[in-house]
Amino acid sequence: MKEPVVSIRTYTLTWLALLALALATTLIGLLDLGPFSMGIAILIATAKAALVVAFFMHGRYESKLVRVIIAAGVIWFLIMISNTLGDYITRGWLPFPGK
Amino acid sequence: MSKLDSVFEAKSPRQLELREQFSTPDHQRETAMVGMWIFLITEVLLFGALFTAFTVYRLSDPQAFDLGSKDMEIVLGSVNTAVLICSSFTMALSVYFAETGNQKMLMLFLIVTMFIGAVFLAIKFTEYHAHYLDHKVPAFWFEESSPHAAQIEMFFVFYFVMTGLHALHMMIGLGVLTVLLFRTAIGSITTEYHTPIEVGGLYWHFIDIVWIYLYAIFYIPGLHLK
Repeated sequence: MKEPVVSIRTYTLTWLALLALALATTLIGLLDLGPFSMGIAILIATAKAALVVAFFMHGRYESKLVRVIIAAGVIWFLIMISNTLGDYITRGWLPFPGK
Repeated sequence: MSKLDSVFEAKSPRQLELREQFSTPDHQRETAMVGMWIFLITEVLLFGALFTAFTVYRLSDPQAFDLGSKDMEIVLGSVNTAVLICSSFTMALSVYFAETGNQKMLMLFLIVTMFIGAVFLAIKFTEYHAHYLDHKVPAFWFEESSPHAAQIEMFFVFYFVMTGLHALHMMIGLGVLTVLLFRTAIGSITTEYHTPIEVGGLYWHFIDIVWIYLYAIFYIPGLHLK
């Protein structure tokens, strides 16, 4: 019998950490943090996503090739959103109509 | 034997373990995992486009999107987040039991995962029904007295499109798990060859990650206004 990649103990700890972070998201959401409330929620969500990818999806134990693909997905998404927002946010910065 | 016969022929675990185009079983497994991860990246970009559009509209009127978020069913949404995290955990355990070759536990945990997934969908549709009774269905039946009504309606457009696409993925995931359960039952899954369980697991966990972000952007920003 081959050794499983991740032990039940690690899976259980990941699961408990995810539940704790979900609870933290909700409790922090109850506070009025102004414009930061969304940012903090996204930050915690990213921590949760990282846990899922690393342990549940075995990202931490996969080959370099798979890890490069995972990184490419994140980077492509960041390119899409940053270039789009770079357009929308900077509209109206110049004193010309339509710029 | 005709070509069609070979398609429907039940393959023995030994044959599945190493198909002729691969040099080693590890090579075969790695190829499958790379293919699945590339598919998941295309899914990231599918949902990513919607997240980008959501962000653009939210930046145009953050206050309206907070007001829209206030109308979310926070209790149902939070319970659903926990439910989906639990289903990811049971899916991870399914992979564990596939790796250790414990077929009974594997089938048990696949069934438990499907059951929890179905609970998620039931809660999700309960939420949709609550929004319907609340007259918050954009374009068909949307009532809102705030001066931000049009932007709040846009918030609900994103809410229904994005959670709807997510729910569709859940249904496909349930279909995938049904096939995996069947394949386990007929003995195609062994300690040596359990790539289908791993690949199905990746899909299921990906859906979980999407929900983690949906929960953060739809339910949290307006929570303090309640």
